[in-house]
Amino acid sequence: MVLLTVIALLLGIVYGLSGIDISIIGFITEHTHYILYLLMFLVGISIGLNHGIMEKIREYHIKIFIIPIGIIIGSLLGGIVCSFISGISMNTSTAIASGLGWYSLSGVMVSEFAGAQLGSITFLSNLMREIFSFFSIPLIAKHLNFPTCIAPAGATSEDTTLPMLIKYTNEETVVLSVINGMICSAAVPILINLCYQIF
Amino acid sequence: MDILIIMGIGIFVGSKFFPDRHKKKNEKMQIVCTVLIIFSMGVMLGGRENFIQELSTLGLTSFLYFLIPTVLSTIVVYLLTRIFMKKKQKEKED
Repeated sequence: MVLLTVIALLLGIVYGLSGIDISIIGFITEHTHYILYLLMFLVGISIGLNHGIMEKIREYHIKIFIIPIGIIIGSLLGGIVCSFISGISMNTSTAIASGLGWYSLSGVMVSEFAGAQLGSITFLSNLMREIFSFFSIPLIAKHLNFPTCIAPAGATSEDTTLPMLIKYTNEETVVLSVINGMICSAAVPILINLCYQIF
Repeated sequence: MDILIIMGIGIFVGSKFFPDRHKKKNEKMQIVCTVLIIFSMGVMLGGRENFIQELSTLGLTSFLYFLIPTVLSTIVVYLLTRIFMKKKQKEKED
């Protein structure tokens, strides 16, 4: 699965760089959100087939916030550490780290606050986070535990990295990852704004 | 929000109507969708203006900003799940 993912990503990049325009590929790339919807529907079916899963999720109660809170705390700490290493101001540094993997939105937001160069760093670092998730999820699932697999994925755990979570964890973790992705996605614009103003 | 609604419909279909014998086909379709989504992401990146140039000039700083927050997130989540979700994890692994 990881190999397939890497091949798909590389082929996509090569195609994008080539400037070639094949209509069917253009159609697919312009309608990715429908593919994501289909994927979510199919994932829903998998969850539905696993009877009793929703009862398990309900048992978590407030603990369902543990993962997104952990991701946000860890990312902000990382932003603070990076500030000392890179010399970039604390507010910008924590704003960059607040992207939580959502490279498109965070890149644009930081560009507006701090200029194109820092926006590009935000874009690339969050993109790297997403790509790294594809590789780290199988390893974390094997050596740590299933919920921790959601951590590197951050805000992307409800969409692009979800297939890897489906493949390497279980239905219960998949539901947690969708909820986490929603919470983190909602938090990203708020965090970037707050970090930029508070620190 | 729409993602959650669609997944909810899928859960309903899966629990009420979807036959167990098509479970493997469903999983294969998920892989196809995944590959298409990731391929599309690559196309979007490759088509981004100055992508290679950005990667070469700002790569090291970007790497730092990817690595440290990601590793710290993983450590914090691992510790929190060990403390607060330990029982559930044990039950699940059993």
